[in-house]
Amino acid sequence: MGDTPRRLQMKFAMPSDPRYLPVVRGAIGPLAAAIGWEESECLAITLALDEALANVIRHAYHNRADGLIELECRESPDGLEISLLDNGDAPDRSKICAREIGCDQPGGLGTHIIKKVMDRVSYEVSAEGNRFVASKQMRKT
Amino acid sequence: MKISVRDVGDAKVVELEGDVDLGTSPLLRRTLFETLPRAAKLALNLAAIRYIDSSGIATLIEVLQDSRRLNKEFVLFGLSPAVQEVFRLTHVIRIFRVFPTEQEALETA
Repeated sequence: MGDTPRRLQMKFAMPSDPRYLPVVRGAIGPLAAAIGWEESECLAITLALDEALANVIRHAYHNRADGLIELECRESPDGLEISLLDNGDAPDRSKICAREIGCDQPGGLGTHIIKKVMDRVSYEVSAEGNRFVASKQMRKT
Repeated sequence: MKISVRDVGDAKVVELEGDVDLGTSPLLRRTLFETLPRAAKLALNLAAIRYIDSSGIATLIEVLQDSRRLNKEFVLFGLSPAVQEVFRLTHVIRIFRVFPTEQEALETA
């Protein structure tokens, strides 16, 4: 055994079917709690991941339920990293936009939530597929 | 998610229980849009909601916009902590009329 501490890593391979979203939500909240976030932050992290998965289902797979989403949630030395990989349509970067704060239009809420909750968010298209990566740092008080 | 509708005078109260997400928000949307034209006031009880995502919030915004078009009242009451947290993150609470209890939601014109 080396000196590097073992950290929790959680992997899911889920169909692009909204029926499975509660399963993932049920796992990510306790993971965030185990890392040390308080309840409201755990809910926010759960919501951000749920929104990212919903974006893949809606925009990459166009609500088809037979796509594959590979999800990895990893405890990092300073927080949490989430990675999603899909083989649907590549995201249109010009359409990835957060809504204006407090406006009364229904669109763009999910992207707003992801950007507000997570510290770093990136999208990458490669031969593997479309990868979304988001991380959040644990702030020590 | 469980959803039910009951009459209280001229108003209709919609009761929700469980999670509102990408899979369940279409049922919420359909129910609210069908119920709205049939009442002077539509009050939505969010006390038993454990989870709501942006598709649920977007549905509420769409119903609010339709209520203005139809000259109906659409109010929310009994926001659970989970709902309050999502409203806080999305900054949409100020566009809704929100009450602590059903009685207050129905009494206010």
